[in-house]
Amino acid sequence: MEEQTPIENTPQASKSPESFPKENPRALQSKLLAGSLLSVVLVVGLYYVNRYWIAPAVRAQPKSDRNHPLAPAFSLTDITGKPLKLSDYQGKVVVLDFWATWCGPCRIEIPNFIELQKRYAAQGFTMIGISIDDSPEPVVDFYKEFRMNYPVVIGNDRLGELYGGLPGLPTTFLIGRDGRIYAKHVGATDPSVFETEIKELLAISPASEAKDFHQAGIVFKEDKVELGDPAAIDSEVPGIDLTKLTADQKEAYEKVLASQQCTCGCKLNLLKCRQMDRHCAISRKLAQDLLEAFLKDKNSTIVTK
Amino acid sequence: MRMLLWGWVLTLMVASLGWAQNNSSVVEAHAVMATDAAHANSPLKLAVLAQVAAGYHINDHKPSLDYLIPTELKVEPSNQFTVKDVVYPKGTPKRFAFSDAPLSVYEGTVVVGTLLQAGKDVRAGTYALKAKFAYQACNDHACLPPTSVPLTVTIRVVPRNVPLKPVESDVFQRIKFE
Repeated sequence: MEEQTPIENTPQASKSPESFPKENPRALQSKLLAGSLLSVVLVVGLYYVNRYWIAPAVRAQPKSDRNHPLAPAFSLTDITGKPLKLSDYQGKVVVLDFWATWCGPCRIEIPNFIELQKRYAAQGFTMIGISIDDSPEPVVDFYKEFRMNYPVVIGNDRLGELYGGLPGLPTTFLIGRDGRIYAKHVGATDPSVFETEIKELLAISPASEAKDFHQAGIVFKEDKVELGDPAAIDSEVPGIDLTKLTADQKEAYEKVLASQQCTCGCKLNLLKCRQMDRHCAISRKLAQDLLEAFLKDKNSTIVTK
Repeated sequence: MRMLLWGWVLTLMVASLGWAQNNSSVVEAHAVMATDAAHANSPLKLAVLAQVAAGYHINDHKPSLDYLIPTELKVEPSNQFTVKDVVYPKGTPKRFAFSDAPLSVYEGTVVVGTLLQAGKDVRAGTYALKAKFAYQACNDHACLPPTSVPLTVTIRVVPRNVPLKPVESDVFQRIKFE
Protein backbone atom coordinates (compact mmCIF):
# COMPACT_ATOMS: atom_id res chain seq x y z
CA MET A 1 0.00 0.00 0.00
CA GLU A 2 1.35 3.32 -1.01
CA GLU A 3 2.18 5.65 1.86
CA GLN A 4 0.28 8.91 1.67
CA THR A 5 1.77 12.21 2.82
CA PRO A 6 -0.61 14.17 5.03
CA ILE A 7 -2.10 16.97 3.05
CA GLU A 8 -1.15 19.67 5.54
CA ASN A 9 2.51 19.01 5.22
CA THR A 10 2.74 19.34 1.49
CA PRO A 11 3.85 22.67 -0.11
CA GLN A 12 0.85 22.54 -2.33
CA ALA A 13 -1.36 22.28 0.65
CA SER A 14 0.05 25.53 2.14
CA LYS A 15 -0.70 27.57 -1.00
CA SER A 16 -4.14 26.37 -1.63
CA PRO A 17 -6.92 28.78 -0.58
CA GLU A 18 -8.96 25.82 0.27
CA SER A 19 -6.54 25.17 3.10
CA PHE A 20 -7.63 28.41 4.99
CA PRO A 21 -10.52 28.09 7.35
CA LYS A 22 -13.62 29.59 5.72
CA GLU A 23 -14.26 31.99 8.71
CA ASN A 24 -11.01 34.02 8.41
CA PRO A 25 -11.86 36.38 5.50
CA ARG A 26 -15.17 37.25 7.03
CA ALA A 27 -13.64 37.77 10.44
CA LEU A 28 -10.98 39.93 8.90
CA GLN A 29 -13.50 41.93 6.96
CA SER A 30 -15.59 42.35 10.07
CA LYS A 31 -12.62 43.53 12.00
CA LEU A 32 -11.65 45.96 9.30
CA LEU A 33 -15.18 47.26 9.08
CA ALA A 34 -15.45 47.63 12.83
CA GLY A 35 -12.11 49.38 12.94
CA SER A 36 -13.14 51.77 10.18
CA LEU A 37 -16.44 52.54 11.81
CA LEU A 38 -14.72 53.12 15.12
CA SER A 39 -12.23 55.49 13.48
CA VAL A 40 -15.00 57.46 11.84
CA VAL A 41 -16.92 57.69 15.09
CA LEU A 42 -13.75 58.77 16.88
CA VAL A 43 -12.95 61.48 14.35
CA VAL A 44 -16.49 62.79 14.26
CA GLY A 45 -16.66 62.69 18.02
CA LEU A 46 -13.42 64.60 18.37
CA TYR A 47 -14.67 67.18 15.88
CA TYR A 48 -17.82 67.88 17.85
CA VAL A 49 -16.01 67.86 21.19
CA ASN A 50 -13.59 70.44 19.83
CA ARG A 51 -16.27 72.57 18.22
CA TYR A 52 -18.71 72.73 21.08
CA TRP A 53 -16.50 72.29 24.11
CA ILE A 54 -12.77 72.88 23.67
CA ALA A 55 -12.81 75.73 21.11
CA PRO A 56 -15.41 77.84 22.95
CA ALA A 57 -13.43 77.38 26.17
CA VAL A 58 -10.28 78.54 24.43
CA ARG A 59 -12.08 81.50 22.89
CA ALA A 60 -13.47 82.47 26.27
CA GLN A 61 -9.92 82.92 27.50
CA PRO A 62 -8.31 84.99 24.79
CA LYS A 63 -4.56 85.06 24.72
CA SER A 64 -2.93 88.40 25.17
CA ASP A 65 -1.42 89.66 21.95
CA ARG A 66 0.56 92.89 21.94
CA ASN A 67 0.12 93.43 18.24
CA HIS A 68 -3.64 92.87 18.22
CA PRO A 69 -4.99 93.58 21.70
CA LEU A 70 -8.64 93.13 22.51
CA ALA A 71 -10.59 96.37 22.08
CA PRO A 72 -11.56 97.71 25.54
CA ALA A 73 -15.24 97.25 26.19
CA PHE A 74 -17.47 100.23 26.79
CA SER A 75 -21.12 100.98 27.33
CA LEU A 76 -22.45 104.44 26.47
CA THR A 77 -25.61 106.10 25.22
CA ASP A 78 -25.74 107.22 21.63
CA ILE A 79 -27.00 110.65 20.62
CA THR A 80 -30.48 109.30 19.91
CA GLY A 81 -30.69 108.07 23.51
CA LYS A 82 -30.18 104.37 22.79
CA PRO A 83 -27.66 102.32 24.80
CA LEU A 84 -24.60 101.25 22.84
CA LYS A 85 -22.21 98.51 23.93
CA LEU A 86 -19.19 97.52 21.93
CA SER A 87 -19.90 93.89 22.85
CA ASP A 88 -23.15 94.10 20.82
CA TYR A 89 -20.98 94.24 17.72
CA GLN A 90 -18.99 91.07 18.41
CA GLY A 91 -18.57 89.19 15.14
CA LYS A 92 -18.63 92.38 13.07
CA VAL A 93 -15.81 94.46 11.68
CA VAL A 94 -15.91 97.82 13.43
CA VAL A 95 -14.25 101.13 12.66
CA LEU A 96 -14.16 103.14 15.87
CA ASP A 97 -13.66 106.82 15.09
CA PHE A 98 -12.73 109.33 17.81
CA TRP A 99 -13.64 112.75 16.43
CA ALA A 100 -15.13 116.16 17.25
CA THR A 101 -17.29 118.69 15.41
CA TRP A 102 -14.65 121.40 15.89
CA CYS A 103 -12.00 119.30 14.19
CA GLY A 104 -11.61 120.07 10.47
CA PRO A 105 -9.68 116.91 9.54
CA CYS A 106 -12.35 114.85 11.35
CA ARG A 107 -15.19 116.50 9.44
CA ILE A 108 -13.77 115.72 6.01
CA GLU A 109 -13.59 112.01 6.85
CA ILE A 110 -17.27 111.70 7.81
CA PRO A 111 -18.74 111.56 4.26
CA ASN A 112 -16.28 108.75 3.47
CA PHE A 113 -17.36 106.85 6.57
CA ILE A 114 -21.00 107.27 5.55
CA GLU A 115 -20.16 105.73 2.19
CA LEU A 116 -18.26 102.83 3.77
CA GLN A 117 -21.23 102.15 6.05
CA LYS A 118 -23.56 102.01 3.02
CA ARG A 119 -21.22 99.78 1.08
CA TYR A 120 -20.26 97.19 3.68
CA ALA A 121 -22.94 97.11 6.40
CA ALA A 122 -24.65 94.12 4.81
CA GLN A 123 -21.37 92.19 4.96
CA GLY A 124 -21.03 92.60 8.72
CA PHE A 125 -19.37 95.99 9.03
CA THR A 126 -20.25 99.01 11.11
CA MET A 127 -18.86 102.43 11.86
CA ILE A 128 -19.10 103.78 15.40
CA GLY A 129 -18.32 107.44 16.01
CA ILE A 130 -17.09 108.59 19.41
CA SER A 131 -17.34 112.35 19.70
CA ILE A 132 -15.30 114.17 22.29
CA ASP A 133 -17.34 117.36 22.01
CA ASP A 134 -18.14 118.84 25.41
CA SER A 135 -21.86 118.65 24.79
CA PRO A 136 -24.16 116.64 22.53
CA GLU A 137 -25.91 119.61 20.87
CA PRO A 138 -23.35 120.37 18.16
CA VAL A 139 -22.98 116.63 17.53
CA VAL A 140 -26.74 116.20 17.04
CA ASP A 141 -26.80 119.17 14.64
CA PHE A 142 -23.87 117.77 12.71
CA TYR A 143 -25.42 114.28 12.65
CA LYS A 144 -28.57 115.67 11.06
CA GLU A 145 -26.83 118.03 8.66
CA PHE A 146 -24.50 115.36 7.32
CA ARG A 147 -27.17 112.61 7.46
CA MET A 148 -24.87 110.25 9.30
CA ASN A 149 -25.97 106.64 9.02
CA TYR A 150 -24.08 105.02 11.87
CA PRO A 151 -24.20 105.26 15.68
CA VAL A 152 -22.44 108.13 17.40
CA VAL A 153 -21.81 108.38 21.14
CA ILE A 154 -20.34 111.14 23.29
CA GLY A 155 -17.05 109.83 24.67
CA ASN A 156 -15.13 110.82 27.76
CA ASP A 157 -11.56 111.08 29.06
CA ARG A 158 -11.66 107.61 30.56
CA LEU A 159 -12.58 105.97 27.25
CA GLY A 160 -9.82 107.83 25.44
CA GLU A 161 -7.31 106.66 28.05
CA LEU A 162 -8.52 103.07 27.83
CA TYR A 163 -7.73 103.19 24.14
CA GLY A 164 -4.22 104.35 24.91
CA GLY A 165 -4.79 108.09 24.85
CA LEU A 166 -5.69 110.17 21.85
CA PRO A 167 -2.56 111.74 20.35
CA GLY A 168 -4.77 113.81 18.08
CA LEU A 169 -8.12 113.81 16.34
CA PRO A 170 -9.24 111.97 14.43
CA THR A 171 -7.88 108.73 15.91
CA THR A 172 -9.43 105.68 14.33
CA PHE A 173 -9.26 102.02 15.29
CA LEU A 174 -10.01 99.02 13.08
CA ILE A 175 -11.53 96.15 15.09
CA GLY A 176 -11.83 92.68 13.61
CA ARG A 177 -14.66 90.18 13.99
CA ASP A 178 -12.75 88.62 16.88
CA GLY A 179 -12.87 91.88 18.84
CA ARG A 180 -9.17 92.61 18.39
CA ILE A 181 -7.68 95.91 17.27
CA TYR A 182 -5.86 95.46 13.97
CA ALA A 183 -5.01 99.03 13.04
CA LYS A 184 -4.84 102.52 14.46
CA HIS A 185 -4.71 105.68 12.40
CA VAL A 186 -4.00 109.15 13.76
CA GLY A 187 -5.02 112.10 11.65
CA ALA A 188 -7.10 112.31 8.50
CA THR A 189 -6.53 109.15 6.47
CA ASP A 190 -7.16 108.35 2.82
CA PRO A 191 -10.51 106.47 2.59
CA SER A 192 -8.91 103.82 0.36
CA VAL A 193 -6.73 102.81 3.33
CA PHE A 194 -9.79 102.13 5.47
CA GLU A 195 -11.53 100.31 2.64
CA THR A 196 -8.55 98.02 2.08
CA GLU A 197 -8.40 97.13 5.76
CA ILE A 198 -12.15 96.66 6.09
CA LYS A 199 -12.27 94.30 3.14
CA GLU A 200 -9.39 92.28 4.51
CA LEU A 201 -11.00 91.96 7.94
CA LEU A 202 -14.43 91.12 6.48
CA ALA A 203 -12.83 88.19 4.66
CA ILE A 204 -11.74 86.64 7.98
CA SER A 205 -14.25 84.38 9.72
CA PRO A 206 -15.37 85.38 13.23
CA ALA A 207 -13.65 82.39 14.82
CA SER A 208 -10.26 83.16 13.34
CA GLU A 209 -7.63 85.73 14.13
CA ALA A 210 -6.32 87.68 11.14
CA LYS A 211 -2.74 86.59 11.64
CA ASP A 212 -1.64 87.84 8.23
CA PHE A 213 -3.26 91.26 8.53
CA HIS A 214 -1.09 94.20 7.55
CA GLN A 215 -2.13 97.73 8.32
CA ALA A 216 -2.65 99.63 5.08
CA GLY A 217 -1.25 103.07 4.35
CA ILE A 218 1.85 104.50 5.92
CA VAL A 219 2.35 103.21 9.45
CA PHE A 220 3.83 105.67 11.91
CA LYS A 221 5.18 104.92 15.35
CA GLU A 222 2.21 106.79 16.81
CA ASP A 223 -0.12 104.30 15.13
CA LYS A 224 1.13 101.43 17.28
CA VAL A 225 -1.69 100.11 19.45
CA GLU A 226 -0.93 100.48 23.13
CA LEU A 227 -3.91 100.46 25.42
CA GLY A 228 -4.34 102.12 28.77
CA ASP A 229 -4.22 100.29 32.08
CA PRO A 230 -7.71 100.33 33.64
CA ALA A 231 -6.22 100.05 37.15
CA ALA A 232 -4.26 103.24 36.57
CA ILE A 233 -7.07 105.03 34.75
CA ASP A 234 -9.63 104.38 37.50
CA SER A 235 -7.16 105.01 40.31
CA GLU A 236 -7.68 107.58 43.09
CA VAL A 237 -4.54 109.17 41.67
CA PRO A 238 -5.46 109.24 37.96
CA GLY A 239 -2.92 107.55 35.74
CA ILE A 240 -1.16 105.77 38.60
CA ASP A 241 -1.83 102.13 39.42
CA LEU A 242 -2.08 101.87 43.22
CA THR A 243 -3.11 98.21 43.39
CA LYS A 244 0.30 97.14 44.73
CA LEU A 245 -0.01 99.43 47.75
CA THR A 246 -1.65 98.51 51.01
CA ALA A 247 -4.30 100.86 52.37
CA ASP A 248 -1.78 102.44 54.76
CA GLN A 249 0.80 102.84 52.02
CA LYS A 250 -1.81 104.38 49.74
CA GLU A 251 -2.66 106.95 52.39
CA ALA A 252 1.01 107.69 53.00
CA TYR A 253 1.71 107.96 49.29
CA GLU A 254 -1.16 110.41 48.74
CA LYS A 255 0.12 112.56 51.60
CA VAL A 256 3.54 112.71 49.99
CA LEU A 257 1.96 113.71 46.68
CA ALA A 258 -0.02 116.42 48.44
CA SER A 259 3.14 117.79 50.01
CA GLN A 260 5.03 118.24 46.75
CA GLN A 261 4.34 120.85 44.11
CA CYS A 262 3.94 120.00 40.46
CA THR A 263 6.48 121.73 38.25
CA CYS A 264 4.18 122.07 35.23
CA GLY A 265 3.28 125.65 36.16
CA CYS A 266 -0.16 124.85 37.58
CA LYS A 267 0.94 125.85 41.11
CA LEU A 268 -0.92 122.84 42.50
CA ASN A 269 0.48 119.99 44.56
CA LEU A 270 1.06 116.73 42.75
CA LEU A 271 -2.11 115.08 44.03
CA LYS A 272 -4.30 118.01 43.02
CA CYS A 273 -2.64 118.30 39.63
CA ARG A 274 -3.26 114.63 38.90
CA GLN A 275 -6.89 114.98 39.94
CA MET A 276 -7.51 118.26 38.09
CA ASP A 277 -5.51 117.55 34.95
CA ARG A 278 -5.08 113.86 34.25
CA HIS A 279 -3.37 114.78 30.97
CA CYS A 280 -0.44 116.49 32.71
CA ALA A 281 2.57 114.40 31.75
CA ILE A 282 4.79 116.13 34.32
CA SER A 283 2.72 115.29 37.38
CA ARG A 284 2.13 111.78 36.04
CA LYS A 285 5.86 111.14 35.76
CA LEU A 286 6.65 112.66 39.15
CA ALA A 287 3.86 110.65 40.78
CA GLN A 288 5.04 107.46 39.05
CA ASP A 289 8.64 108.02 40.21
CA LEU A 290 7.42 108.49 43.78
CA LEU A 291 5.34 105.32 43.55
CA GLU A 292 8.33 103.31 42.38
CA ALA A 293 10.35 104.64 45.29
CA PHE A 294 7.53 103.61 47.61
CA LEU A 295 7.39 100.11 46.21
CA LYS A 296 11.16 99.67 46.57
CA ASP A 297 11.03 100.62 50.24
CA LYS A 298 8.75 98.01 51.76
CA ASN A 299 8.89 99.62 55.15
CA SER A 300 7.63 102.98 53.89
CA THR A 301 6.45 105.29 56.64
CA ILE A 302 4.56 108.53 56.41
CA VAL A 303 6.93 111.35 55.63
CA THR A 304 5.47 114.78 55.02
CA LYS A 305 7.05 118.18 54.89
CA MET B 1 8.15 108.39 -10.34
CA ARG B 2 9.77 106.31 -7.63
CA MET B 3 11.65 109.38 -6.39
CA LEU B 4 8.37 111.32 -6.19
CA LEU B 5 6.75 108.54 -4.23
CA TRP B 6 9.60 108.33 -1.74
CA GLY B 7 9.71 112.08 -1.47
CA TRP B 8 6.02 112.06 -0.55
CA VAL B 9 6.58 109.27 1.96
CA LEU B 10 9.47 111.12 3.59
CA THR B 11 7.48 114.35 3.74
CA LEU B 12 4.61 112.59 5.49
CA MET B 13 7.00 110.92 7.90
CA VAL B 14 8.56 114.25 8.85
CA ALA B 15 5.10 115.82 9.18
CA SER B 16 4.06 113.01 11.47
CA LEU B 17 6.76 113.85 14.01
CA GLY B 18 4.52 116.54 15.46
CA TRP B 19 1.39 114.41 15.72
CA ALA B 20 2.01 112.86 19.08
CA GLN B 21 3.21 116.10 20.66
CA ASN B 22 1.84 116.79 24.12
CA ASN B 23 -0.81 119.51 23.94
CA SER B 24 0.85 121.55 26.67
CA SER B 25 4.04 121.94 24.66
CA VAL B 26 2.31 123.10 21.45
CA VAL B 27 1.69 126.57 22.88
CA GLU B 28 3.73 128.29 25.58
CA ALA B 29 2.70 131.64 26.92
CA HIS B 30 3.73 134.27 29.43
CA ALA B 31 2.51 137.74 30.37
CA VAL B 32 4.36 141.06 30.61
CA MET B 33 3.39 144.52 31.85
CA ALA B 34 3.97 147.76 29.95
CA THR B 35 5.33 149.42 33.11
CA ASP B 36 7.24 148.12 36.12
CA ALA B 37 4.34 149.02 38.45
CA ALA B 38 0.85 150.57 38.44
CA HIS B 39 -1.02 153.42 40.12
CA ALA B 40 -4.43 153.15 41.70
CA ASN B 41 -7.28 154.57 39.64
CA SER B 42 -5.18 154.41 36.47
CA PRO B 43 -5.02 152.29 33.33
CA LEU B 44 -2.32 149.66 32.89
CA LYS B 45 -1.39 147.59 29.91
CA LEU B 46 -0.70 143.89 29.88
CA ALA B 47 0.47 141.68 26.98
CA VAL B 48 0.38 137.94 26.64
CA LEU B 49 3.03 136.47 24.36
CA ALA B 50 2.18 133.02 23.09
CA GLN B 51 4.51 130.88 21.03
CA VAL B 52 2.86 128.28 18.78
CA ALA B 53 5.06 125.29 17.96
CA ALA B 54 6.21 124.98 14.37
CA GLY B 55 3.82 123.01 12.20
CA TYR B 56 0.81 123.92 14.31
CA HIS B 57 -1.70 126.75 14.16
CA ILE B 58 -4.41 128.04 16.46
CA ASN B 59 -7.62 129.71 15.34
CA ASP B 60 -8.14 133.43 15.01
CA HIS B 61 -10.10 135.01 17.85
CA LYS B 62 -12.80 135.51 15.22
CA PRO B 63 -12.59 132.16 13.39
CA SER B 64 -13.40 131.84 9.72
CA LEU B 65 -15.91 129.02 10.33
CA ASP B 66 -18.48 128.92 13.09
CA TYR B 67 -17.52 125.46 14.27
CA LEU B 68 -13.89 126.40 14.96
CA ILE B 69 -12.87 127.14 18.53
CA PRO B 70 -11.50 130.70 18.88
CA THR B 71 -8.34 131.74 20.65
CA GLU B 72 -9.26 133.69 23.73
CA LEU B 73 -7.58 135.44 26.64
CA LYS B 74 -9.71 134.99 29.75
CA VAL B 75 -8.84 137.21 32.68
CA GLU B 76 -10.23 136.10 36.02
CA PRO B 77 -12.37 138.61 37.91
CA SER B 78 -10.34 140.65 40.34
CA ASN B 79 -11.25 143.06 43.14
CA GLN B 80 -8.37 145.34 42.18
CA PHE B 81 -8.37 145.39 38.38
CA THR B 82 -11.05 145.59 35.69
CA VAL B 83 -10.59 144.53 32.10
CA LYS B 84 -11.38 147.41 29.75
CA ASP B 85 -10.29 145.92 26.44
CA VAL B 86 -8.61 142.89 24.92
CA VAL B 87 -6.81 143.39 21.60
CA TYR B 88 -6.19 140.37 19.42
CA PRO B 89 -3.84 140.29 16.45
CA LYS B 90 -5.02 139.87 12.91
CA GLY B 91 -4.84 136.25 11.75
CA THR B 92 -3.02 134.95 8.70
CA PRO B 93 -5.15 133.39 5.96
CA LYS B 94 -3.97 129.85 5.26
CA ARG B 95 -5.23 126.97 3.16
CA PHE B 96 -5.73 123.50 4.60
CA ALA B 97 -6.73 120.19 3.04
CA PHE B 98 -9.83 120.02 5.21
CA SER B 99 -11.24 123.37 4.13
CA ASP B 100 -12.24 124.75 0.75
CA ALA B 101 -11.56 128.35 1.74
CA PRO B 102 -8.51 129.76 3.54
CA LEU B 103 -8.82 129.95 7.32
CA SER B 104 -7.59 132.81 9.46
CA VAL B 105 -5.12 131.38 11.96
CA TYR B 106 -2.29 132.35 14.27
CA GLU B 107 1.13 130.81 13.88
CA GLY B 108 4.49 131.43 15.52
CA THR B 109 4.44 134.31 18.04
CA VAL B 110 1.02 135.64 18.98
CA VAL B 111 0.70 138.85 20.98
CA VAL B 112 -2.58 139.68 22.75
CA GLY B 113 -2.92 142.99 24.57
CA THR B 114 -5.14 143.79 27.56
CA LEU B 115 -6.06 147.19 28.88
CA LEU B 116 -6.84 147.09 32.59
CA GLN B 117 -8.04 149.72 35.03
CA ALA B 118 -6.77 149.69 38.59
CA GLY B 119 -9.50 150.46 41.12
CA LYS B 120 -9.45 153.87 42.82
CA ASP B 121 -9.20 152.33 46.27
CA VAL B 122 -6.43 149.87 45.52
CA ARG B 123 -3.75 150.15 48.18
CA ALA B 124 -0.04 149.99 47.43
CA GLY B 125 1.11 146.41 47.40
CA THR B 126 1.62 143.36 45.24
CA TYR B 127 -1.32 141.59 43.65
CA ALA B 128 -1.65 138.44 41.57
CA LEU B 129 -3.91 138.58 38.56
CA LYS B 130 -4.83 135.22 37.03
CA ALA B 131 -5.68 134.59 33.42
CA LYS B 132 -5.87 131.78 30.88
CA PHE B 133 -4.77 131.77 27.28
CA ALA B 134 -7.31 129.41 25.73
CA TYR B 135 -6.77 127.86 22.31
CA GLN B 136 -7.31 124.83 20.14
CA ALA B 137 -4.40 123.73 17.95
CA CYS B 138 -4.19 121.68 14.77
CA ASN B 139 -1.58 120.76 12.20
CA ASP B 140 -2.34 119.80 8.60
CA HIS B 141 -3.72 116.37 9.47
CA ALA B 142 -4.92 116.25 13.06
CA CYS B 143 -6.23 118.42 15.86
CA LEU B 144 -5.56 118.56 19.58
CA PRO B 145 -8.35 119.13 22.10
CA PRO B 146 -9.06 122.67 23.31
CA THR B 147 -6.89 123.63 26.24
CA SER B 148 -5.41 126.65 27.95
CA VAL B 149 -2.18 127.97 29.42
CA PRO B 150 -2.60 129.27 32.97
CA LEU B 151 -1.04 132.67 33.60
CA THR B 152 -0.37 134.60 36.78
CA VAL B 153 0.71 138.21 36.53
CA THR B 154 2.23 139.91 39.53
CA ILE B 155 1.19 143.57 39.60
CA ARG B 156 2.91 145.98 41.96
CA VAL B 157 0.78 149.00 42.89
CA VAL B 158 2.82 152.00 44.06
CA PRO B 159 1.85 155.45 45.39
CA ARG B 160 1.13 158.10 42.78
CA ASN B 161 4.30 159.99 43.60
CA VAL B 162 6.39 157.02 42.51
CA PRO B 163 7.12 157.26 38.76
CA LEU B 164 6.41 154.28 36.52
CA LYS B 165 9.13 152.97 34.26
CA PRO B 166 8.18 151.66 30.81
CA VAL B 167 9.31 148.10 30.02
CA GLU B 168 8.93 145.74 27.02
CA SER B 169 8.33 148.71 24.71
CA ASP B 170 8.94 146.64 21.58
CA VAL B 171 6.11 144.32 22.53
CA PHE B 172 3.56 147.07 23.23
CA GLN B 173 4.41 148.93 20.04
CA ARG B 174 2.84 146.03 18.16
CA ILE B 175 -0.50 146.34 19.94
CA LYS B 176 -3.07 148.85 18.74
CA PHE B 177 -4.93 149.84 21.89
CA GLU B 178 -7.86 152.17 21.22
